[in-house]
Amino acid sequence: MLSRLSLRSGRSLGLATTVARSFSSSAHTLKSTYDSPDFTKYLNKSKGANPDKTRDYTYLMVGAYGLVSAAAAKSTVDAFLSTMSASNDVLAMAKVEIKLGSIPLGKNVVVKWQGKPVFIRHRTTDEIAEANDVDISTLRDPQKDSDRVIRPEWLIMMGICTHLGCVPIGEAGDFGGWFCPCHGSHYDISGRIRKGPAPLNLEVPHYEFVDEAESVMIG
Amino acid sequence: MSFYHTVFNTVFKRNSVFLTTIFAGAFVFQAVFDEGVNKWWEARNKGKLWKDVKLTIPGAGEEEDDE
Repeated sequence: MLSRLSLRSGRSLGLATTVARSFSSSAHTLKSTYDSPDFTKYLNKSKGANPDKTRDYTYLMVGAYGLVSAAAAKSTVDAFLSTMSASNDVLAMAKVEIKLGSIPLGKNVVVKWQGKPVFIRHRTTDEIAEANDVDISTLRDPQKDSDRVIRPEWLIMMGICTHLGCVPIGEAGDFGGWFCPCHGSHYDISGRIRKGPAPLNLEVPHYEFVDEAESVMIG
Repeated sequence: MSFYHTVFNTVFKRNSVFLTTIFAGAFVFQAVFDEGVNKWWEARNKGKLWKDVKLTIPGAGEEEDDE
């Protein structure tokens, strides 16, 4: 109360020479008995000063600060999230590329992928026909040959018996495919289980052909 | 309608537009900034990088050509 009185008296005495600039025209402010400070000293008094330009500049500065902060925040989050993804040396080990040109028709090749054997067989047309001839309803794990290959001439599958994980022998067994010596599982020319204790067909890994089937990328 | 007035009315007037502009600008800025820093770094270290060194080592270009 005292300060308000003194302010008013100060004004009436002529200490505040200019009328304080009102920064809000709302009725509430006009009714207020408080005096707003006198900012005229700090206002841009240069000739031809464009208030629109000044206002744009202020907002631009605020916006630019926000923009840089947002980018920095995004970088920080990115850096933390990227620690969760696999590193380059892991990714390099996760895939293996095999040139197919060196595998003659009707031959098996065993390659190592992630420490496990992978069978690649270059199948002849007779073998493809044989694999397609099988009545699927008689199989233990019914699967069409076309569901197990991308290109019928290249059969690519994991060389791990689905029974207890031995490595089957190629071009052996009763069905012209693979034979597991551990417990006598017979796989046909499409890698499907036909006889013996194994419950499932040999697993087909994810792979894709690159360079017009010049080579195959497993993984 | 001066230029500055138009800018204010289109970008700064609504906070939703202002914020959207800031976030969109942040994405663009980051891409440009990263690209720029990478360019500068490679220019500064020219001749020391693996892609430059690789050419001077016979036979090294064949195995690491996937990227």
